[in-house]
Amino acid sequence: MNEICEISGGSSSDRTIDVVHASLVKRRQAEKRFRLYGLLSIVAGLCFLVLLFGSIIARGYTAFQQTSIALDVYFDPQLIDPDGRRDPSALMEADYDRLLKNALSSMFLDVKERQAKRALYSLLSAGASYDLRDLVLANPELIGKTQKVWISADDDTDMLVKGQLGRTGAEGERRIKDNQIAWIDKLEADGRIKKSFNTAFFTSGDSREPELAGIWGAVMGSLFTLLVTLSLSLPIGMAAAIYLEEFAPRNRWTDLIEVNINNLAAVPSIVFGLLGLAVFINFFGLPRSSPLVGGLVLTLMTLPVIIIAGRSALKAVPPSVREAALGVGASPMQMVFHHVLPLAVPGMMTGAIIGMARALGESAPLLMIGMVAFIVDVPQSIMEPSTVLPVQIYLWADSPERAFVERTSAAIMVLLVFLIFMNGLAVYIRKRFERRW
Amino acid sequence: MKVRERISEASFNREYSHTVGEITSPNSRIVCRNVNVYYGEKHAIQDVGLDIGRNEVIALIGPSGCGKSTFIRCLNRMNDTIPGCRVTGQIVLDGQDIYDGSLDVVPLRAQVGMVFQKPNPFPKSIFENVAYGPRIHGLVSSKAELEEVVETSLRRAGLWDEVKDYLHQPGTSLSGGQQQRLCIARAIAVNPEVILMDEPCSALDPIATAKIEQLIDELRSHYTIAIVTHSMQQAARVSQRTAYFHLGRLIEVGETAQIFTNPRHQLTEDYITGRFG
Repeated sequence: MNEICEISGGSSSDRTIDVVHASLVKRRQAEKRFRLYGLLSIVAGLCFLVLLFGSIIARGYTAFQQTSIALDVYFDPQLIDPDGRRDPSALMEADYDRLLKNALSSMFLDVKERQAKRALYSLLSAGASYDLRDLVLANPELIGKTQKVWISADDDTDMLVKGQLGRTGAEGERRIKDNQIAWIDKLEADGRIKKSFNTAFFTSGDSREPELAGIWGAVMGSLFTLLVTLSLSLPIGMAAAIYLEEFAPRNRWTDLIEVNINNLAAVPSIVFGLLGLAVFINFFGLPRSSPLVGGLVLTLMTLPVIIIAGRSALKAVPPSVREAALGVGASPMQMVFHHVLPLAVPGMMTGAIIGMARALGESAPLLMIGMVAFIVDVPQSIMEPSTVLPVQIYLWADSPERAFVERTSAAIMVLLVFLIFMNGLAVYIRKRFERRW
Repeated sequence: MKVRERISEASFNREYSHTVGEITSPNSRIVCRNVNVYYGEKHAIQDVGLDIGRNEVIALIGPSGCGKSTFIRCLNRMNDTIPGCRVTGQIVLDGQDIYDGSLDVVPLRAQVGMVFQKPNPFPKSIFENVAYGPRIHGLVSSKAELEEVVETSLRRAGLWDEVKDYLHQPGTSLSGGQQQRLCIARAIAVNPEVILMDEPCSALDPIATAKIEQLIDELRSHYTIAIVTHSMQQAARVSQRTAYFHLGRLIEVGETAQIFTNPRHQLTEDYITGRFG
């Protein structure tokens, strides 16, 4: 310390350490400020995330339950099987609606007017008679007996039971009328209303009736679309990345290709949709709305992402590994496939999965190729018309029925679960297969 | 420092334009004539002529950036991998010009092995590291034969006793000195005729260095070895001939003893006496 004093001139006010101390206060403050900014931005980000998830979950969790009403249905042989032959084709055609109506009327004997009766029947789901039919077809023994059956309720009933439709206000402006509210309250008091897990939401395709609408069709559509995308974009993207990074000569052409790939990665996705419409549907005549065309379009969209990620993963492999391989006389291809690729694959796969996750969440390009159509059937192959999860969300968000609000949020939750799963997989693969050198 | 460099440069230009000493070897294995290397515009090696003899260790010394690594990398065409690198002149190995357009670099590199500055084992097991070369060149026909080659190579590299029980551990888990000996074992597993070593001990401690120097001395009876080194003691210990490079030119070459005791060129003397470099 003394030596330093002497070097800096002797007088104590000139000591280097004092100057350092003086500047230290400023430095510390700057550092504190910087940390505070960082913390604030993280907190803000987390707040928005919590807000987003909170609002989606708060709005959507009720969709996982569906209200049903217990009715004592008398399976009147006169109505459904007048011949008594238990003929399945006859049973298919029978009027199960009538059974439901009879069961309801017998509980509310005071309802006589035609209009009131219609209001009473509308408490039940429009699809309830099909459930009853399936019940009878599965178990013809029921005919002639009376059995308590849980029938799924209409979406308005469901909304009222869940407390999402107002009971107050002018009757004319309400979806559900005073007499209906009275009946539902009576059913509830009798223990004839329950909320159970909404399996239909996960097992059926789209429908105009919210209580019948499910995401299974969209999930299958997404699955088929992603399958096409994955099986095309992964091999093509990886091969292109390997060729461009390891084998292609460096010249004007490869520079041009590189610039174009980088540009393609930034092209708005709807442009790829228009391209797909023009090329795959109008020129090649592939079926409209099919996962095949959707997958092709998303392949075009994800390819640049996969190629760029793949190239940077290859670039990150240390040159010493390449030199080692070449040094013992490996050919360039042996060098790439034996040494470089095993080290680069985790990075390439991470890029590919993130590209896939982006493709899964994409809706704009698929609108262009007709995957926005209202499709009730669950697709069984890549050639059948279908829709995908994000487009299903878009469709439901557009629907006027109150019950679609919660279903939209629920579908978003399902989509988010898929996305989180895929990103988690990417992280896992990176951690699991990352090799140190 | 800068000033001194400039003086040396000036004296170089004024007094000498050719290599001092005998560039040929009595038992030549590799013959280099008029070798020039360009990195783009940069003329990295200028008109080097040098022979490397059979069963001889030649040490290449010189200050950083003098082109000795560049030169050694020409001998198995590792410079091909550097974009913008151009080599002219003749490098003849056993009567075959290795820069002949029709020559395949894969057998060349099997014939001329290389050990790099930084130990660079493959991120695979010790066994796989050594077995890789023989396997891709098809040098072995059975698993037993492969195991034998691996054992012999590790024995020659003086690593066998240390790793024989850990053959399936990753090569990267070894210590620096062991890794470098593993790299030497990997290089000799393909039974090359020439081994190039680019500062093989620069990242190692004195004990590991001593082991590798001893190894080089033992390997001399089977192979032709060219070694780049920054340590003049090392050059004096392991080599029979020494070549001094300066700014891309070969300044002086001769018997190691003569170079270190009685250098004929002023620049060589300046370098080995530690006046610059």
